[in-house]
Order: sequence, then structure tokens, then C-alpha cells
Amino acid sequence: MARDKIVVGLEVGTSKVCAVAAELKSDGTIQILGVGEAPSRGVRKGEIVDIDNCGKCIREALADAEEKSDVMIKNVYLGITGAHVQSFNNRGSFTLPEEQEKVGEDDFARVQEAARKAPIPSQNMFLHTILQTYHVDGQDGILNPIGMHGRKLEADFHIIHGVANRIKNNIQCLIDLDIEIEDIVFTPYAAAQAILDQTQKNTGAIVVDIGGGTTGYIVYTGGAVKQSGVVGIGGDHITNDLSLGLRIPMGKAEKLKIEEGSCIVGNCVPGEVVALKDEPGFAGREIEREMLNTIINLRVRETFELLKRELDKGRYLDYIGSGMVLTGGSSSLHGIQQVAEEIFQMPVQLCRAQNVSGVTSAFENPQYSTAIGLVKYAQATLEDESGGLLGWLKRLFSIIFLFFLR
Amino acid sequence: MIRLTRPSSSTAPVIKILGIGGAGANTLDRLVLDGIEGASVIALNTDVQALNGCVAPQKIHLGKTTTRGLGSGGDPEIGYEAAEEAGDEIKAAIEGADMVFLSAGLGGGTGSGATPLIAHMARTAGAMVIAFVTLPFAFEGKRRLTQAAQSLAQLEGQADLVVCFENDRMCEVVAPSAGVQQAFVATDQTLSQAIRTIATLVRHGGIINIGLDELASALRRQHPRCLFGYGESDGANRAHEALQRALKSPLLEKGRMLGESRSVLVHVAGGPDLTVSELTVLMEEFNRHISDSTRIDFGIATDAKLGRRLCVTIISSTAAAEPAAAAARPVIARTPAPGEAVFTAAHAGEAEEESEAGDAAREPEPMPQPVTKATPAPMQIAPAITAHKPKDSPSQKTAAAKKEEKAEQMQLEPANRGRFEKSEPTIVDGQDLDVPTFLRKNLKVK
Repeated sequence: MARDKIVVGLEVGTSKVCAVAAELKSDGTIQILGVGEAPSRGVRKGEIVDIDNCGKCIREALADAEEKSDVMIKNVYLGITGAHVQSFNNRGSFTLPEEQEKVGEDDFARVQEAARKAPIPSQNMFLHTILQTYHVDGQDGILNPIGMHGRKLEADFHIIHGVANRIKNNIQCLIDLDIEIEDIVFTPYAAAQAILDQTQKNTGAIVVDIGGGTTGYIVYTGGAVKQSGVVGIGGDHITNDLSLGLRIPMGKAEKLKIEEGSCIVGNCVPGEVVALKDEPGFAGREIEREMLNTIINLRVRETFELLKRELDKGRYLDYIGSGMVLTGGSSSLHGIQQVAEEIFQMPVQLCRAQNVSGVTSAFENPQYSTAIGLVKYAQATLEDESGGLLGWLKRLFSIIFLFFLR
Repeated sequence: MIRLTRPSSSTAPVIKILGIGGAGANTLDRLVLDGIEGASVIALNTDVQALNGCVAPQKIHLGKTTTRGLGSGGDPEIGYEAAEEAGDEIKAAIEGADMVFLSAGLGGGTGSGATPLIAHMARTAGAMVIAFVTLPFAFEGKRRLTQAAQSLAQLEGQADLVVCFENDRMCEVVAPSAGVQQAFVATDQTLSQAIRTIATLVRHGGIINIGLDELASALRRQHPRCLFGYGESDGANRAHEALQRALKSPLLEKGRMLGESRSVLVHVAGGPDLTVSELTVLMEEFNRHISDSTRIDFGIATDAKLGRRLCVTIISSTAAAEPAAAAARPVIARTPAPGEAVFTAAHAGEAEEESEAGDAAREPEPMPQPVTKATPAPMQIAPAITAHKPKDSPSQKTAAAKKEEKAEQMQLEPANRGRFEKSEPTIVDGQDLDVPTFLRKNLKVK
């Protein structure tokens, strides 16, 4: 990286659209220049249901970011989520041709291609094929096989895929706004880049990104992604439960959740109430705190239990040395950490983005960790691409790929 | 794997398909026109003109003297009498059958009156009885609806399985703009498809076979009202599409009811190119719609005739029946001779009466009683049960209360998704997670 480069991470979430403009410094650090934000409309459970409305929100957020950071935004790294995103692990293998003795650079692409031969539903497209480890002639733990002698190159990959048309909808929104997409990234993967450092990835960690409409997770052990996925439940569900259960409007329920809500039950003074003030069009109410917390607790607990079941399927829970990190807007909910600790039986911490500087309020807030993660992802891929034929090829492919999506 | 060759013709179950009344005949016609193999098809009607117009190879005219070839005039009592009159003929027709499919439209005279009686005859003859019935449109009036409900209740007491199609849901099968003709054809198709699928299921062996016994055990001790889904696809993503179609089937309530079910039977049939990965994808997806404790009976069959097509059949029933009703349903009656001995007191009278058909004295009215317009329906079954097992009555009461509670909860369900009303539901283990957790856990909110 010779010169400083400005990248923008864009997350189109269920509750808000968030754009982070950042400068990638030549010394490897990231300086956040500005954060643009707009409330989201036309998105349900992380998926776009109204392209027009969603486009407007994206424009607002980008304009906001442009204003605050004083840069022109022409291209972005786009975050993708939604319950349609699935993942699995697969091994690709490639036998070197007779005359070739050493593993060459382009063999990696062939192994990756082989791993992608796995059956995914034909309506789906690949989002990521993330390398886990190499094996050369059955020898495990190879970090870099290029130049090694061998006959057979194998590599394990974590493959993330999603329904192509839903991903295309996200892209369409940006095409309509004349914004170029550098890359599309699965949001928990992006969030993990901002939150976890290399040690945590090596010793094993889980990132759980609790957003408005979805809860995404990603599991790292041994420095590689082992499991990831999305559950279609998020903070909106808590709000919805409160609104239906306490019979108050959604807006009030949301405010109540943020200001007064807690996941902890059983430590309220009996009969303690939260007063909702009179307003035009709303007769004041007194809400029992215990009830409020019980409704929240039930939903949060259920979501974590569901997540636990998903994680149990992967059987990596025993290899998590660094515990779990909660992020996303809903991770600010009071007491959520305790509930998670109780259910997952491991240390749980609330996160903030690491190794960035700039607007303090941005990286201290878990709401922005995904967008910052997108910037981090950009940094990592750009470093990769700066050298080697492989990086150039990858870049070319992604351009062709995005071209076809139009 | 060592597999014994299955002698095909000798052990294949004998299947008879009976279409009763006008609606039944329509379904039958559809079935015959689309082709059905290995099953004899019999049309039964009171209206001789309608009967002659039917394409079924075998026909039985009900009530030669009762109606003199005219219809039943929408009166189930006449339908019942007509069927009783033709009792010998019916018994002869269904003799030796392992499985009897009944197809009828409830609400009218012949369908509502004759079907429960014929179901009973088939059951006493030792066959497994599966009824496919349509319920009238709501606009057809209260009387027909009541008649249909009464008849359905009786049928549920007699048949092993009742697959029910509400005509009101016809607009789910076809576009609202579709012609009336088209809509009815689609309904007939849905039902005939269901009949054909079950018939093929038990007739043809598979790699993992589902036979009569599995079908019976999967559905025994459950409510006889059955959920049925069928879907097929030959697209590139056929496993997913076929399952989605099966789940969207109008007889399955969009898969939401599956979570309530205790056991489900899934059958996958495909051409020789059916792959393991397709099966895996399909079953993984399916498992999301049912709860962990649900028992799955799984069957696979390959048939070169299917070509590229992949067919998924889902059969299940709503939550287990209340014990009282199960007792009332003589499941053991499949083997005729001892069956009669186990028959309940109420049924014993019926069986005797059956043996001397034509005897006019049927005063202590047993189960398949003609539906009279005036008498309220459920009463007829309830006394029969209490007379048979008086000590059961409290449990029966609680069961009834439970059922009511359940019904109430179900009614609540669709209304309470709030903000997520129009979004794609998040269904895990058969539970719609968009519905507030506290509602699903039955927590009272002050």
C-alpha cells in the first residue's frame, strides 16, 4: 500500500442504513473520517422488501457520510445478511499434472474451484469461499503451499452462500444510485474483522451480531472461520413482542426497550412500574417493570437457545478459548451479556471495533461494528490484491461477476 | 445391503376407490381420465342420470326403491337409506380390498348420508379406509355446513384417515380470476392427486419402503383429520421446489400445522438420477418445519417413469386425538372376525344390523346415522361414547376443554405477528418465531 486510500463500508440493516467512510493509512491503521446514518425503511429481517424506499434511505445515509467525512462516495463495500444465507465446510482437492513438481500460484484457484463443486441449491450464489487450511499430500497444517513439492494439493474452505436474487436486490439499490460495488461481504464476517484480533481468532471465538431483524454468527477456531449463519430474529422482534404484549405503539415499545428494558428478571422491586407519559394521541400508561423484563427475557433467551442449537450442530463450542463477543445494536440491551453467559456457558463480552482511530463515538458503538468491519475487510483484501497475479485475477473475476449481475 | 425380491402382484394391496355422490364422481372422473393403475374404481350415486354420465368402469346405483333413480335432494337421511338399500352390492364391491378410498363432497344428501355408512362397511370388511372429502362453501348456507360437519364427525369415527378440502380455500388453488370450471377442476385434481399418491405409495416398493403398515402406524392414535401435501418439480432446483410445493399444498395449511404433529410420513420419489445430496437438502429443509420430537417415517422410491421429476409426499395429522375419540374408533376392527368382538357396545348393534341389511328396525341408532337437519350433530357421538365407557367422561371433558383451548390459541396465531405480518415467517421446529415468545409460552400479560 503505497498511498492512502479511502474506502466506504455500507450496511443496509433492518433498522438503519449505515455508511462508514475511512482512510486506510499507509502504516496499516484505519482512520474513520465520518459515519453516515439513516433510519431504514423497506428492509425486513435484513432483506429488501421495497427497493424504492430502501434506495432513498441508502442515499440519505451516503449523503450524510459524504457531508461528515468530506469525501465523494463513488464505490462501497456492501454488507449482506438475511436468513437465506447458509454455510458449510468443504474440502477441495487438486492433483498436480505429471510434469509439475511444485505447487504453483494458480493451483490455489483450482483447489478453490474444486471446493465450490459442492451442491448448493441452484438459486443460490457463493458469497465467500474462505480458506481454512491446506494439505499437501495429506500433510496437515500447511500455511503456504506455494513452492512446496507435492502431488496433491488439498484445501479446506468455509463456503458461504445465499439466494442470488435477494443479494441482487441489494446490489440493484446501489446500481440505481450509480454507486459502484467493490465487493459484497457477509455482515458477521465483516463484523468479526473489526472485533476480533488474530489471537482471538486463533484461540477460538464466536461473534454474534444481533441486529434489528436478524442475528448473525460466525465461529473462529484455529485462526479460520469454521461456522457461520443467520437466524431471522433480532431486536425488532423484542420491540414487536413488547408492542403486542403491552399494547403500546411500536415507537413507544422501541423507546421503552432501549431506555428501560432489561433481560434480567427477578431483581425488580415488586410492583415497580415504568410510567409512560401522556402525549397527544396516547393516554399515559404504567407498565410493570417485571412484565417488561419478562417479555424481553423470554425472547432473548429463546433466540440464544436457538443459536446454541445451531452452534451445537457445528461441534466447535468446545474449542472456543476466547469466548463470545456480542455486537450489533441489540447487544446494548441491558443484561444481555448475563443471559448469553448463562446459556452458552462461556465468557461473553460486549465489543467495540479495534485498531481504528477517528470519530470516537463511531467505533465505541456496537451499532457500527459491521460497517467498520467492512472497511477492515476492504483493507485486508486490498493488501492481498496489491501483490501477485492471483490478486489481480480475483479482482478481474469480481468485476466480471458484478458486471453480469447487472 | 441384501434385499429380497418383492413378489409384486401377489402381495400388492388390493385398492378400491369409491366415488360417492356428484362431487365424489367428479373427483373419480378426474382420476380415471388422468389414469390410475392397479386400483378398481367404482362410482356410487343416487342420481341415475349422473351415474350414467360417470366414466368409472363399475357403477352402483344407490337406493333403487328409495329414490327411484332421482337424487337425494340434499337430504342425508335419504342418502343413508339409499346406501343401506344397496348394502349388499356395496359389500360385494369392496370385498377383499386392503384399502378403500372414499371420495365424496359433504354437505349434500348422498355424500353426507352414504359416506359414513360405506366407510363403516369397508372397515368391517377389514379394509383400511381413507376418505377424501370436500366441505361446502360457506355461502352455501348454515344447513349444508352443519350437515357436512355432522357427516365429517361420523366419518372421522369410521375412517382411518380423512383428508379434508374446504371449498372455501379453492381460491388458494387457482387464481381468483380463474373460471369456475377451472377452479373445480383444480380442486378435483388436488384430491385425485392425493388419492393417486397414496395408492402408488403403498403399491410400489421403494428403496426405503412405505407400506400399508407404516401408513397405518404413522397415523394411528392421531386425529383422523389428516394433513396432506404433494409437490413435484423437474427444475434445476427440484428438491427445494418440490418440497415448497408440497408445503404450499392447500391440504397442508402452508406447513404451519406441521409443528403440532407428532408423526409425519415423508415420501420422496424420483427418477434414477435422484441424488443423495438432493435428499439431504430436502430433508434438512423439511426438518425446520417440524419439532424435534416429531417422529418421521421416511420413504424413498425410484421409478424410471418419473424421468427428471422429483415428487414429495407429506402425510401427517393434527395433534393426537383425545383418548375418548380414539376409544370410539375401533382401530382393531381391521381383522373382521375378532374385530367384531372388540366392537363397542354401540357398534355391536350396528354390526348385527349390518349382517341383516334391509331390516328396518334401527331405532337404537349407532354411529353412521343419517344426518337429520334438526338434531345438533355432536350429541350423536357423545352419548355413544359415554354409554360405552361412562368412566371416561371426565377425561373426555378435559380433552374437549384442551381442544377448545388449542383452537383458541390457533385462532390467535395468525393475528399476532404484528410488524412481521407481511414478511416471510421464520419457522424453526414448526414454530413461527415471529409470534411473540410470551404468547407461544402461554404467559399471561397484565
